[in-house]
Amino acid sequence: MSSPAVDARGVDKYFGRFKALDGLDLTVETGQVAGFLGPNGSGKSTTIRVLLGLLRADAGAVRLLGGDPWKDAVALHRRLAYVPGDVTLWPNLTGGQAIDLLGRLRGGLDRGRREELLARFELDPTKKARTYSKGNRQKVALVAALASDAELLILDEPTSGLDPLMEAVFTGCVLEAKEQGRTVLLSSHILSEVEKLCDTVTIIRQGKAVESGTLEDMRHLTRSSVRATVTGDPAALASLPGVHNAEIDGDRISMDVDNDHLDTVMRSVTDLGVRSLVSNPPSLEELFMRHYGDELAALNGNRGSAA
Amino acid sequence: MSALTGTGTLTRFILRRDRIRMSVWTVALVGTVAMTIPTLDEAFSTDAQRQARAALMDTPTGILFGGPGYGLDDYTLGAMVVNELTMSLLIATAIMSILHVVRHTRAEEESGRAELLRAGVLGSGAQMTAALVTVALLNLVIGGLSGALMAGYGLDATDSLAYGLGLGLAGLTFGAVTAVCAQLTEHGRAASGTAFLAVGLLFMARVVGDLAERGGGPSSWASPFAWVQQARVFDDLRWWPLALYPLSILALFGTAYALAGRRDLGAGLIPARPGPAAASPLLNGVFSLHLHQQRGSIIAWSVATFLFAISFGTLATEVEGMLDSNPDLMAMLGGAAEDVTAGFLGVMSGYVVMAAAAQGILSVLRARSEESAGRAELVLATAVGRVRWYGAALAVGVLSTSLLVVLGGLGIGIGALSSTDDSSWIGTMLESALSQLPVALAFVAATALAVGAVPRLMSLVWAWLGYSVFTTMLGALLGMPDWALNLSAFGMLPQPPVEPFEAAPAAVASAAILAALVLALAGFRRRDLAVG
Repeated sequence: MSSPAVDARGVDKYFGRFKALDGLDLTVETGQVAGFLGPNGSGKSTTIRVLLGLLRADAGAVRLLGGDPWKDAVALHRRLAYVPGDVTLWPNLTGGQAIDLLGRLRGGLDRGRREELLARFELDPTKKARTYSKGNRQKVALVAALASDAELLILDEPTSGLDPLMEAVFTGCVLEAKEQGRTVLLSSHILSEVEKLCDTVTIIRQGKAVESGTLEDMRHLTRSSVRATVTGDPAALASLPGVHNAEIDGDRISMDVDNDHLDTVMRSVTDLGVRSLVSNPPSLEELFMRHYGDELAALNGNRGSAA
Repeated sequence: MSALTGTGTLTRFILRRDRIRMSVWTVALVGTVAMTIPTLDEAFSTDAQRQARAALMDTPTGILFGGPGYGLDDYTLGAMVVNELTMSLLIATAIMSILHVVRHTRAEEESGRAELLRAGVLGSGAQMTAALVTVALLNLVIGGLSGALMAGYGLDATDSLAYGLGLGLAGLTFGAVTAVCAQLTEHGRAASGTAFLAVGLLFMARVVGDLAERGGGPSSWASPFAWVQQARVFDDLRWWPLALYPLSILALFGTAYALAGRRDLGAGLIPARPGPAAASPLLNGVFSLHLHQQRGSIIAWSVATFLFAISFGTLATEVEGMLDSNPDLMAMLGGAAEDVTAGFLGVMSGYVVMAAAAQGILSVLRARSEESAGRAELVLATAVGRVRWYGAALAVGVLSTSLLVVLGGLGIGIGALSSTDDSSWIGTMLESALSQLPVALAFVAATALAVGAVPRLMSLVWAWLGYSVFTTMLGALLGMPDWALNLSAFGMLPQPPVEPFEAAPAAVASAAILAALVLALAGFRRRDLAVG
């Protein structure tokens, strides 16, 4: 396989005394859609700006499309397109003018695709940017990025201002980009979006990558939720290794099962005579909660004591 | 809920938010008064000295920045303060009031902060009222303290009071003019531009009137710049001209409120129209982008500078008229009528250079605001390098500044030609303005260096411009030492037609400017982009 599209190792970035990135690792293989997940302020945008050569890493090694993002910025930027999280446009340019300008500065865009994307995103290109809502400004940047022939798309929370219909359009566009063999780095705090689109996920917290891998790999590390109705007494299941939070109600049981114990637990369930069985794979939400759960607990604790 | 609900809270908020800004203006202006009174008292201690100074104030340049000339016959300390200082103070309070009112009305709407506030329990007129209350407070405190200082120095208390009140009310009037301008367009920048233009025209009206006849002609009376001095403080005090201030303030505020009541929040009276769906082939690079962004501002500055320059130039007739009617004056200024006119026009071209410098600073600062707004990020994430982006911005700054200098020189020349029928003025005045081009560009380079390498120091550039203007207008009068005068940018290079052009200092200055621009680019290439 060719070298990864994005390869960051041990990246530190300070703003004054504040450590925004703390030994961050991030790898995106060519041709993949990579999710970059983390709450607000965890360092997602800072990482992306380091990748774009807008900020200089204080330590660590960063390679982007095989080059140095700081030194080779211009050459690398011809091969990528970027949508910032908070798009600000020139108030006196129309959306159409801004799209064309950004395209020309990158080195051209596909006229046909530009028109098609404008129609799909239902964007009026004759309006001045100052009259656009946040969502519409985001659409301008999205159209400009997607109408390019960039091999790498860097999208920073691209759907944060879009309505659900437009989110669906966006999802379609990213899947098409993937089919065309483009690489996508998608930062988000919306789990369902990442789950829907991404091959790999990196979870970032306080400037550090705390978990990364394919969704499959990560699911192996966690638990599936299983609900079953059996002929026999389900009580015995509760004490099996790898079973958590078992709740028994007559002949029904619901439980969380460690994925590496799923096989043995399922054998025991079938031995009891299955009448119905529902098993859900772990959601990214659970993965996420595992890493931010303590923050959430602290938050709830504060709220509890305040109340 | 009345239209004024929440005005009190908002007023306190503005005072809190601008406490440093307002204090600096107050200290700077009142400090100037405090410094000037004793200096004038010492520098002109005898009658003879004072009358010699009075004669100088009766020259065209003296009238331009002095006033209608009340009290020149018996030039006491009070009359001296009024004649020497009033215009500088009024120009400063005008700038202060315009910036303050736009900052708290139209700029708030443009940024969207007004929307957040107006969604709360806040009356529709509260923001404008709070802006006006605070600008009134600021001006009256400055006027009041100035008057108190004068009375404290032993000048006549009633006259001091009238003068202080007049200063404060004049500043407030400029604030009221701004309140009307802020209703017309959607943009803070355009609002302050319109207000500066309006105030500039009012200033010209006074100059034309005061030059036309001793004590001020009809066009003087149209200008708030004139009314303080028309009260004849420290000469033969009359209060009624000061009544023109509250009358015009009420009329202007009434107009502003009426206009504000007729439009939506955030909208201008001139509505926005749809634009082209695609960019023209001309908008194809960063230079054309920067130019497109600053187009309106460059055109406005060019037109304003050119028109003011022409009108300055036509004052040459008034100058010659004064010399004809007062041969002693010519003798005193030593020399031919042409030299006096040249001296006067040379001073005018100095002011053109100041305007060009201010425009140059603003132009380079646009690059900084592109950066802080996140638009530079969008562009620099495309195949555009740092040096190309910032270099193009600096090119726009250098070119627009040069354009203003040329237009200014040309304008003064054309104005002088039209009033004297002497076509040699065009070449002379162009040379005069161009000789100072490096001075204007020095401000562009200094701003470029600050933005490129040390953004924290950006405000120092304004301080330098303010200091340079201050020393040009008052430095010699205040007897400032040579080293302090030499820190001023204006006067760095000899200026024709009064002094001959010298190539060596101009070349040194140009080299320094070039070096600063290169350093600025290098600095911008090395530092992190300001984001978020």
